[in-house]
Amino acid sequence: MSEEAELLPGTLDLLILKAVSLGPLHGYAVLSRIEQISGKRLFVEQGALYPALFRLVRQGLLKTEWGKSENNRRAKFYELTAKGRKRLQAETDWWKRAAAAVTSALAARPQRA
Amino acid sequence: MIAAYLRSMTRRFLRRGQNGREMDEELESHVQLRADALERGGLDRAEAVRLARIEFGGQVRFKEECREAMGGNAIHQAIQDVRFSLRSLRKSPGFSLVAVTTLALGIGATVATFSVVNTVLLRPFAFSHPEKLLWIYSQRSDNPRTNFSLPEYCDYRDQTTSFEGLAGVASFNPSFADSGRPERVQGVRMSASAFAMLAVRPLLGRTLIAEDDRNGARGVVLISYGLWSRRYARDPDVVGRAVNLNGETREIVGVLPASFALPNLDTEIVVPLQPDGDPRRNVRNSVNFLRMVGRLKPNVTAQQAHAELEAIRQNLQRQYPGIYTGKVGITFVPLTEEIVANIKSVLLTIFYAAGAVLLVGCVNLAGISLSRAAARQRELAVRTALGATRGQLTRLLLTESFVLALVSGSLGMLLEVWGQSALLRLVPADLPRIESFSIDWTVLLFAGALVFVAALACGLAPAWLLSRSDLRDALVSSGRGSTGGGLQSRLRTWLVSGQIALALVLLVNAGLLLRSFVRLSSELPGFDSIDAQTIRFSLPQTGYPDVATIVHFYDQLHSRVSAISGIKSDALISILPLAPKSISFIHFTRPDRPPARPEDTPSTNYRIVTPEYFRTMGIPLLDGRNFTESDDAERPPVAIISTIVAKNHFPDRSPIGQRILVDDTDGDPRQVEIVGIAGPVKQTNLETPAKADIYLPLRQMPKDGVPWLRNSAYWVIKTSGGAAGVEQLLRDTIQNVDPNVAVGAVRPMSETVAAALAARRFSLLLVGSFAAAALFLAAAGLYAVISYGIQQRNREIGVRLALGATRATILGMIFKEGAVLVAGGIIAGFAIALVLARLVASQMYGVNEHDPFSFAVVGLILSIISFLACGIAARRAMNIDPIVSLRCE
Repeated sequence: MSEEAELLPGTLDLLILKAVSLGPLHGYAVLSRIEQISGKRLFVEQGALYPALFRLVRQGLLKTEWGKSENNRRAKFYELTAKGRKRLQAETDWWKRAAAAVTSALAARPQRA
Repeated sequence: MIAAYLRSMTRRFLRRGQNGREMDEELESHVQLRADALERGGLDRAEAVRLARIEFGGQVRFKEECREAMGGNAIHQAIQDVRFSLRSLRKSPGFSLVAVTTLALGIGATVATFSVVNTVLLRPFAFSHPEKLLWIYSQRSDNPRTNFSLPEYCDYRDQTTSFEGLAGVASFNPSFADSGRPERVQGVRMSASAFAMLAVRPLLGRTLIAEDDRNGARGVVLISYGLWSRRYARDPDVVGRAVNLNGETREIVGVLPASFALPNLDTEIVVPLQPDGDPRRNVRNSVNFLRMVGRLKPNVTAQQAHAELEAIRQNLQRQYPGIYTGKVGITFVPLTEEIVANIKSVLLTIFYAAGAVLLVGCVNLAGISLSRAAARQRELAVRTALGATRGQLTRLLLTESFVLALVSGSLGMLLEVWGQSALLRLVPADLPRIESFSIDWTVLLFAGALVFVAALACGLAPAWLLSRSDLRDALVSSGRGSTGGGLQSRLRTWLVSGQIALALVLLVNAGLLLRSFVRLSSELPGFDSIDAQTIRFSLPQTGYPDVATIVHFYDQLHSRVSAISGIKSDALISILPLAPKSISFIHFTRPDRPPARPEDTPSTNYRIVTPEYFRTMGIPLLDGRNFTESDDAERPPVAIISTIVAKNHFPDRSPIGQRILVDDTDGDPRQVEIVGIAGPVKQTNLETPAKADIYLPLRQMPKDGVPWLRNSAYWVIKTSGGAAGVEQLLRDTIQNVDPNVAVGAVRPMSETVAAALAARRFSLLLVGSFAAAALFLAAAGLYAVISYGIQQRNREIGVRLALGATRATILGMIFKEGAVLVAGGIIAGFAIALVLARLVASQMYGVNEHDPFSFAVVGLILSIISFLACGIAARRAMNIDPIVSLRCE
């Protein structure tokens, strides 16, 4: 558990988009998928997930459909829209650039300043 | 993005139930899926579900967060506020009923009067940029608005550079005939180029073009929307049809729009002026029959244009000495002003009065809301303690008054829509443009704005009070001890005084109108309208070339009706008293007293009559003799003058037997002998004092007057009571004598007199009702504030009584408070009324707008009513039992 990282503000939406980009998921599966793809280092609070999902639906990045879960329960599935896919791409690019910049800044040595 | 947002919001608001169930289901399925995972980890099912629920936390909070994430939170809050307001208004039905009734009536009345103002004053006229259009008259020393002659008009037209164009306009009221019955219509002869200048677009066909004014051009005519509707049932094929005007065939080339008003809305036909074909084109001293209408060039002011025309006038006077004497200047009148001038101040007064009633209503409600807010202070304090912000509370109070205003505004609009036919029956029939009355977008917008203003007026005071008061106090202190304190009661006092002041202003206004009305209706017009019937007619152009034929026509009428028993007498006159928009006057001189300067030549109203006229109209002959049948063309010409002429021009001797020179022909003045003096008659309207009149017998009328009299004359009949069947009888008699005579409507003279008072009756009725309503509201407001004060001070009064104060002392205390309120209101009201008096000054008759009597009476009435309101409220204090009131807390 010491490996667990704090979720940076604004990254929850990005992670949800990423999780859903691999295929339609219901809410609980979104949580598991984020845990899984982050190597169990990122945990999302269960209650915070749904407002975020509703917000992404409102923004037209996700669409919803009721279906059956793998263990045959009725659940609401979230799926990336075309617009969502574009947004994910843009956010990913932005994140990479930002992370690279921060990393490079942090790697600076005193004499080069 | 926007679509998704709207979908999300729609789901939130419109499918609340389904949405909530879905949310429950989704969260539940989440818990179950989590439990499945935990179960797989080795827990038993029940334990797994329990743990999953604990992990998830409070569902209600998440659901609320999810809803917020769906968007439209401002709407959600507004809906909540509105629901809350509706709930709290339902809880106090008494207040809601009073509030909605007051506001609905106030808004309804204001919107109704506005819709009339909108129709009559605000709607655009048929002309583009009407503010640049001016009527131009020739000014004489005794009359600022007289006509020009044709050569004079042409000179101004050709020389001016200030106007884009000058059009000559002359009255032209021909008999109008086609296959149907001939009819007298009102109309104008007008320069054809005027239409381009006025920028009037035809409804059908075309307007006039410069070509139509050419000498010898084909005869054309434009007809008005009214004539088109009345005579042709709005037949779209009317263009191209031939009609007969005064015996001359013309082709209808266009239909004018309903809003065409030149010189006013009564115009039914327009024909081209054709100045160059007119025999008077180059006759310098020919008759003055034209006025001009012009459009100022964009960068020219009215003053500059006036200076230019004035210079042209002086040049003409130098160029043609002796011809234009008497014409001393140029008068400009804005075009639209002339259409609505008389009615403008009347309508605005009524409109302001309605607005003032609404304002009194709002202030009244503000007072009530204020006490409600005070009573609710504890509730509001509790809300604050539970986390409501001051802003939220203010919003709540304002939402309440908005809900009230909106409900009332909708009811007010319904009243307006249902009541519009009643409203139209109420307005004077001759109100210009009223026939085009409708409730349009402007009215709806105005009503919307009114709702907004009313809501603010009602809700602002309590909301402001709330923002100023310390709500914690209300919570801490017990009972009614502190309810808003000094600020609140001061505010209420101000509001009540304000209502009284407004009511006083309205009452003063109504009082002044009433006094004017009474004065005016008790004025004698100089004739007796009882049992007098009138009918206007015009003779066809063919068959009546001279005076003798007209005399013959009248003799036939006379012989036919004088045999009928119910008819006492009958007569013919060129222009009836109070006849709309007809003027005819001439200049005259006393040969032994020529005027010092030519422009001082006196003028007088000019009437051609038959001998029975004075008896039929009940105009007294005060001296001398009446005309007789033998005063004909063979005998020396005679005249009857009114007392005004006698008094002004024969102060030194009796005018009977004197000779004067009257200028009623195209040639030189002719000499007539004064044989009688008749009583003064109000010719133009009831307000204007009687002016000089001269009457000449029909049989001695100069030949030059034939076309004029043929064009329009009146037949007056005195019956021996009862008008049944008279109308048909008169029409039939004329038709039997000559079927080609165009006749107008038969109108009792009493109706003409009533119509002259109609606008005043209308404004008195409305302003009076509004004043009564305002008085009632103000009294109710006063009552409310006094009885509220007594209620608040129940305990204090109980203590005073217990300590030995008499009921009279308590009563004195209450009345003193009331008196301060009322006195403040009355003083403020008088001040406002004095300032506003000039707005109604033009509607006063025989009463000064600062009439001290009206002010005093109104102040007295208001004081008495206020005293009563205090008294009724004080009865409550009288019933206070000191023991009960001391124990009750």
